[in-house]
Amino acid sequence: MRQSSVIARRVAAASVGLVVAAGAAACGPEDNDAKGAGGDSTPHKGGTLTVLNAEAQTDFDPARLYTSGGGNVPSLVFRTLTTRNRENGAEGAKVVPDLATDTGRPNKDATVWTYTLKKGLKYEDGTPITSADIKYGIERSFAPELSGGAPYLRDWLSGAADYQGPYKDKKGLSAIATPDARTIVFHLNKPEGEFPFLATQTQFTPVPKSKDTGTKYEQHPVSSGPYRVVKNQNDGERVLLERNPHWSGDDERKAYPDKVDVRSGLDSSVINQRLAASQGADKAAVTTDTNLGPAELARVSGDKSLAARVGTGHFGYTNYIAFNPKVKPFDDPKVRQAISYAVDRSSVINAAGGSALAEPATTFLPDQKSFGYTPHDLFPAGKSGNAAKAKELLKEAGHPNGLTVTLTHSNSKDFETSPEIATALQDALKKAGITVRLQGLEDNDYRDKIHSIKTEPGFFLAHWGADWPSGGPFLAPIFDGRQIVKDGANFNTGLLDDKSVNTEIDAINKLTDLNAAAARWGALDKKIAGQALVVPLFHPVYKRLYGSDVKNIVISDWTGVLDISQVAVK
Amino acid sequence: MSEALVAVEAAGADITAPAASGARQFWRRLRAQRAALVAAAVVALLVLVALAAPLLTALEGQDPTTYHPGLVDSARGGVPIGSLGGISAEHWLGVEPQTGRDLFARLVEGARVSLGVAFAATLIQVLIGVTIGVAAAMGSRWLDQVLSRVTDIIVALPLMIMALALLAVVPASFPRPVLVALVIGLIAWGNVAKIVRAQTLTLKGLDHVAAARLSGWGAVRVARRELLPGLAAPVITYAALLVPTNISAEAALSFLGVGVKPPTPSWGQMITAADVWYQAAPQYLLFPAGALFTTVLALTVLGDGVRTALDPRAASRLRVGTGRARKEDAA
Repeated sequence: MRQSSVIARRVAAASVGLVVAAGAAACGPEDNDAKGAGGDSTPHKGGTLTVLNAEAQTDFDPARLYTSGGGNVPSLVFRTLTTRNRENGAEGAKVVPDLATDTGRPNKDATVWTYTLKKGLKYEDGTPITSADIKYGIERSFAPELSGGAPYLRDWLSGAADYQGPYKDKKGLSAIATPDARTIVFHLNKPEGEFPFLATQTQFTPVPKSKDTGTKYEQHPVSSGPYRVVKNQNDGERVLLERNPHWSGDDERKAYPDKVDVRSGLDSSVINQRLAASQGADKAAVTTDTNLGPAELARVSGDKSLAARVGTGHFGYTNYIAFNPKVKPFDDPKVRQAISYAVDRSSVINAAGGSALAEPATTFLPDQKSFGYTPHDLFPAGKSGNAAKAKELLKEAGHPNGLTVTLTHSNSKDFETSPEIATALQDALKKAGITVRLQGLEDNDYRDKIHSIKTEPGFFLAHWGADWPSGGPFLAPIFDGRQIVKDGANFNTGLLDDKSVNTEIDAINKLTDLNAAAARWGALDKKIAGQALVVPLFHPVYKRLYGSDVKNIVISDWTGVLDISQVAVK
Repeated sequence: MSEALVAVEAAGADITAPAASGARQFWRRLRAQRAALVAAAVVALLVLVALAAPLLTALEGQDPTTYHPGLVDSARGGVPIGSLGGISAEHWLGVEPQTGRDLFARLVEGARVSLGVAFAATLIQVLIGVTIGVAAAMGSRWLDQVLSRVTDIIVALPLMIMALALLAVVPASFPRPVLVALVIGLIAWGNVAKIVRAQTLTLKGLDHVAAARLSGWGAVRVARRELLPGLAAPVITYAALLVPTNISAEAALSFLGVGVKPPTPSWGQMITAADVWYQAAPQYLLFPAGALFTTVLALTVLGDGVRTALDPRAASRLRVGTGRARKEDAA
């Protein structure tokens, strides 16, 4: 993969973090019933839903948004060819049709994908949505001034690598054909069985060419979804949405509230305080980006009425230790295995906020079916580490008196790669005779260092989330030898270049049967785990409060986040 | 008493008889202030605790870095199990949320870092400030100009921003507490220099200094024999007030993540980690915050007492050490 796209992927990783942060407040149906103390739990139309967020909804242009499955707030305004299934749990990790009649019809080797639009689709001004508008929307996302989206389109579409967008290049993208107003055909340069997942991203939103105002389009994008943008202040700090009278209706978005008022720039503790108090307009409030922290969770779990208003979600994500096998002593697999045996996942999980906010991980793939999760634990450390086995391996590796190593981590306050997790590991490895020196770096410095093969440390904390719930975007960037980037942002930090792994990745990408693909991603995960290039630590869990009037909570495994398109406040 | 004060006193140790009686007078005036005495006792106790930290933790049977995952409730965010944050015979002040590390051990070890850094930084500030201040006042007009402008620049530098920048560029291998002390000490000496320069200029005009200079003494000898005794009062006073400022600076730097590094405990770091827990586990915040508050308050009261004892006008109100006060009182 080219350097540019990998740099973009680095942004991707950051955005995934945001998407995660934009995440979760889930609860099962039984929670809905339990909390119906204020009256009946059937959702009704009407009212104003308030969204209290930390991060602003910036760059509200379908070309510029980097989303997983079309995003939460963006998905209220932008419909796409396909979208995520708006269901709880694993069902919600499936792709379903949105503007299109199905999730796409591939040719034999999955290099050509054809979609047909539903009948009677309209924009907020009543004009019809055509396949040419979808093509134009994708072309816009190639314009340098509208950058920000995922790199996949540029990588996958035939002859798109150097395309500069419709403003400079009037001929457009030859890889996309629109034989009639309802048909759109994509020609790819390699087999991609997961194209339907990509078609959920906002770049697949129709944009009417006559209404395109370039970089100003984000002020008032033309809606194809249930709501239209009435107000957008300070680049998404406050976004007010009202009903789109010409919305054609769709199978996925329930759109119960009449208005959605997104207010951002709030401190996370303020958001949680307001949702806990649930006074006035905050009764009908949710957050799409703020988790309960450990201390807040301790408080909430002691209060039954608050605990009933917490949604739980799982986003496909793994926090792990990464090794650079080019740095001694991590070139020795026995040393890497010894550390795998020595980690104390209980104390690491406590550092990450406890068992309610993190689940132990022994696989690199998230513990979800759609990723092809296949349980395995090749170097069993038990709950709190197997120091004896680790010592034995160190002895075999020629370190009978133990070892001193440096663990690199970020100094940022988020729990993912923070000093708290590093100190927990330091304490656990001490029992196995491994002295750990901590190297805490400023967050940007840390990211630059771990993603450049010239500066990559030997032993560091890392994390990874996928752009959609499948093994492909989870494993390929980290373990595909052809994705090692010599100059620029490299994500294959274990520098693994194994022919058998590379060919298996290619083979799975050809599959259009996603279940069959998932099983093979799971098997590949286990095969790679034998190399001990990473030590999976935990999968985070998202806990989010919502206001006392909020009903119909749906949290999918795709986003791990309460889906705004489903909630009702009446 | 702080190292800084000792240092300044030592510098003026071989002063002549009248000065010695001045020292006696100082002690008498200090003793007359009950608040200052209590404050001095508290400071002495804190220093003792800091010095004896390893003994105290050994006595408790704990250490500041060992994790006790069994003592926290993982399902509830890692809140300590048991009442009052898990206070028990084994863990005198309970344990830290999420890690289960012993709070008493971390608090007393943290005292070493917080107090050590603050006293060392104060010593550096006083040494630099006195040297620059005296040199500016006693040197040529040209030297005075240069040193005074440098002092102005140092005073104008925002401590936190400079410290953040400096601490971010120094390699991680450099011992962190020493570095923090150096950075605070090297950035914040400006006010000491200004006070010393002003005081020296006043002293320079006095007869005994003029006489010493006319009799052909060198500048260093004049400074040592004639100026330092006169400078002791303002410098000691200011130093006593600098120590709490420096404790706060270290706490703030650790709070911002550039102070001492984990797992080394410091009060500032403990407060940082604890601030989100104030509702779920209040004692976690109360102990380090209470310790910091007590220390800063004690040092401030002590500093005020020292100032009062050294200032003849304030001392007169104490009715100690001057005959004049009583007469005025009677009148």
